[in-house]
Amino acid sequence: MASIAASAPTADPELSLFRVYVMRAIYFLIAFAEGSQVVPALFNHEATARGVIPALLSGLCLMCVLGLRYPKQMLPLLLFEMAWKYIWFFAFGLPQYLSGQQPPTFADDFMPITVGVVIMPFVIPWGYFWRNYVKAAGDRWR
Amino acid sequence: MNEVSLVRLYVIRVAAVLAVWGLWDSVRTIIEHSPFDRGVHKALLGGLWLMALFAIRYPLKMVPILLFEMVWKTIWLFAFGLPQWSSGVGSPRLGEDLWGIGAFPIVCAIVIPWGYVWRHYVKAPGERWR
Repeated sequence: MASIAASAPTADPELSLFRVYVMRAIYFLIAFAEGSQVVPALFNHEATARGVIPALLSGLCLMCVLGLRYPKQMLPLLLFEMAWKYIWFFAFGLPQYLSGQQPPTFADDFMPITVGVVIMPFVIPWGYFWRNYVKAAGDRWR
Repeated sequence: MNEVSLVRLYVIRVAAVLAVWGLWDSVRTIIEHSPFDRGVHKALLGGLWLMALFAIRYPLKMVPILLFEMVWKTIWLFAFGLPQWSSGVGSPRLGEDLWGIGAFPIVCAIVIPWGYVWRHYVKAPGERWR
């Protein structure tokens, strides 16, 4: 008990070690599992491909490697990941699923994005987000 | 002592305001789109638009998004933009993308507070592992 009490003050009171590892697990999944799917498209694509989606997703995967070392500081990446998947799900995926009018890519997009929609709210440390990205004073203006 | 100059904070804020303004057309099409629209491109830009709103209030905390912007645009430039431009065979929107995406790694490089990035994202000890 004494050793736990002694080590407590050095621990970050803001996020539990468990939460830090949950975030790291997601950074890892995005960087390597999603990365293995999207990065090959950078090298192997049609000559006339526009390339915005593979470039964006590959950039995200690469940045998530930094999230393994700095999970808290890279939180904006997880917020972005959650934001774009929610936007897609509610503006495109769900209406298309319900109406039956779907683009040919729908089947490829629906599952991976929906998994993100389900998982991300459990990954984001909402208390930390609230304190640091909503309640905290913004950077100075003068 | 302030870590980053006020001028730098405003440079980031101006970039964020320009992103909010510049992405607005894409954001509008999230609401009005064809039923067969794939939507991934628009949703990604919509997510960036939302992050740019946060960056106006918290420019330093949103530096990871600025780094991400620079990285993905650089990836695009080298994997798509430059090879297509030099071969003469490219996407129908290559001309507009070379300006709208390909020119921005340099803009990001000017906006990013590199000293801050070095201290906080390279030299700073990582989060604890145990």
